Amino acid sequence: MPFNEVNSMDSFLALLLNGLNSSALILLAALGMVIICGLMNVINLAHGELIMVGAYTAFSVTQVAGLSFAVAVPAAFVVSAAVGAAMELLVIRKLTGRPAETMLATFGISVVLQQVTNLIFGAQSQYVAIPIEGNLSAGRVVIPYYNIFTILFAAAVSAGTVLLLKKTRFGKRVRAITQNRTMAECLGINSARIDTLTFAFGCGLAGMAGALAAPVKSVSPFMGGPYLVSSFMTSVVGGIASFFGTAVGSLLVGESTALLGGVSNDVFASILVFLLIIAVIRFKPEGLFAKERR
Amino acid sequence: MKKLLRLPVNRYVDYGLFLVLALFPLSGSLFYTQLIEKYLVFLIFAYSLDILWGYAGLMNLGHAVLFGLGGYVMALSLSARGGIPDFMANGGVTQMPGWLQVLSNPAAAVLAGILLPALLAGLLGRFLFYSRVGGVFFAVITLALAQVFNLFIQSQQTYTGGFNGIGGLPGLSLFGNELTLTQGYYFVFCVVVLAYVFCRCLMGSRFGLVLRGIRENETRLEFLGCDQARFKTAVFAVSGALAGLAGVLYAPVNGMIAPNDVGMEFSTAVIVWLAIGGRGNLTGAAVGAMLVNVLGNALSENFGVFWQLLLGAVIVAVVFFVPDGIVGALIRAARGRKAGKAVESRG
Repeated sequence: MPFNEVNSMDSFLALLLNGLNSSALILLAALGMVIICGLMNVINLAHGELIMVGAYTAFSVTQVAGLSFAVAVPAAFVVSAAVGAAMELLVIRKLTGRPAETMLATFGISVVLQQVTNLIFGAQSQYVAIPIEGNLSAGRVVIPYYNIFTILFAAAVSAGTVLLLKKTRFGKRVRAITQNRTMAECLGINSARIDTLTFAFGCGLAGMAGALAAPVKSVSPFMGGPYLVSSFMTSVVGGIASFFGTAVGSLLVGESTALLGGVSNDVFASILVFLLIIAVIRFKPEGLFAKERR
Repeated sequence: MKKLLRLPVNRYVDYGLFLVLALFPLSGSLFYTQLIEKYLVFLIFAYSLDILWGYAGLMNLGHAVLFGLGGYVMALSLSARGGIPDFMANGGVTQMPGWLQVLSNPAAAVLAGILLPALLAGLLGRFLFYSRVGGVFFAVITLALAQVFNLFIQSQQTYTGGFNGIGGLPGLSLFGNELTLTQGYYFVFCVVVLAYVFCRCLMGSRFGLVLRGIRENETRLEFLGCDQARFKTAVFAVSGALAGLAGVLYAPVNGMIAPNDVGMEFSTAVIVWLAIGGRGNLTGAAVGAMLVNVLGNALSENFGVFWQLLLGAVIVAVVFFVPDGIVGALIRAARGRKAGKAVESRG
């Protein structure tokens, strides 16, 4: 982006808004990670592939079946959640309390998901048409409507997730299990069912992130890796079990990548962000907004 | 003789494998000798991860970064032998940079190729382990490192050849004499055996014992007054040096190096070798690396996608049915038989 040619204030604003858009995508991707990794203590190395599954669902619904994008987003949630539920029932449940084995198994699953997608759709990148055309222009700053939609959608989903966990019976049970599993079971909570539902919900969120990202990023079987890394990084920076921390973390990662990318280049920006995150972990290993643990 | 009989079963596998590898060039197939020579380099790489993951329990998901750093240093050195390399000239470099002049000395390149990865690993370890970052975060951060490093290599078109990598490298040479294929094979073989002996001595020493202690129970070891962060950092650095050495050999043996060899893809490959072969006994690393690569070479031509799919499914199956890998299962079976015999003779 030519930084000096146009009014630098305007281009700064444009960068800021771009950053907000990528923050929104990162936030959506990281929300599922917070639930699965923060609440359930499961390291899911197939998280990026669940995002990929969501993106391919959006692709199939809009480009192959010709339906509206409004159908694609819930469909992506359902498909990814179903894959997640199957993963939890068949694999993850049996590896409780063995983090290294869980990591390895979910890694194997990620390879399987990649290759199955590769078999069905081929290795080439697919494109999803942008569902909301047009730009909002204020002065010299131009924002695509779709970006505004993404930002609002991410905010709404985060708020919904927090409400679900804090205000509903289901959320109360999830938190009870997180705090004391044995005690929760003694009180008659079916922890196995809640585990499956929680895991599926986290995976569904990942799928939705994939659907939202599909129109602006390319969709390919191997797209998951960067998403896995950025959502991990975001939740680590924010404090792994904290929703507020994750929101701040995604803003931090998204904005700093966009702003640094504006003044130099994307690679330099991602290297700097990586170093920044290592520094955060060095001095605040629990994340910036770690919950007090008793 | 008695001492030989008392060896654990995996040592027989080690010696058997080395015997087969030592005799392999006698088969006379140049194509396969060259292929196996490449896999020999992979053995060193697998050993380097085994001392880190198998013995100290630190799962490095970006191990290929250390390998690639060594490999790229060597590749740059080899390509700079005849003046400014093409990819640099295309990027507008007209004068050889000072650091490249230093690197064009083979001894300096080997040294840098081993020390730079060790330094990177040591620095990273110093930052991570002293802040009590758990094993899981170590894995995540190394994964991110692999991604960043791959991006970095691809973006530095002028100095690394970018997406295409650095190709057309000359083969192995020793003191200025280019080695023939068989000579090169035996040279790499000797390095592999040395690396094996080094790893076994190191892991058999007090240092190795402490590492296994850290893997089993970190807190208890802290109570015994052992600074676990120092040991972890040290083993990470040693592992980095060994991975760098593998990279240094890989560049001339393979004739080229590309971003694929340094990023997430190759990092996950070495994880797969160890997962399937088994960890924490060096044998599993070697068996896994050989098995996956030989089978992969035979099968991927005809069943490309299916081979990868199978590999993914096999990892999940291994976690469930043989969590300590093929060699781990073998050791357990042998121990079970020995214990059975002991009971019989007593009764």
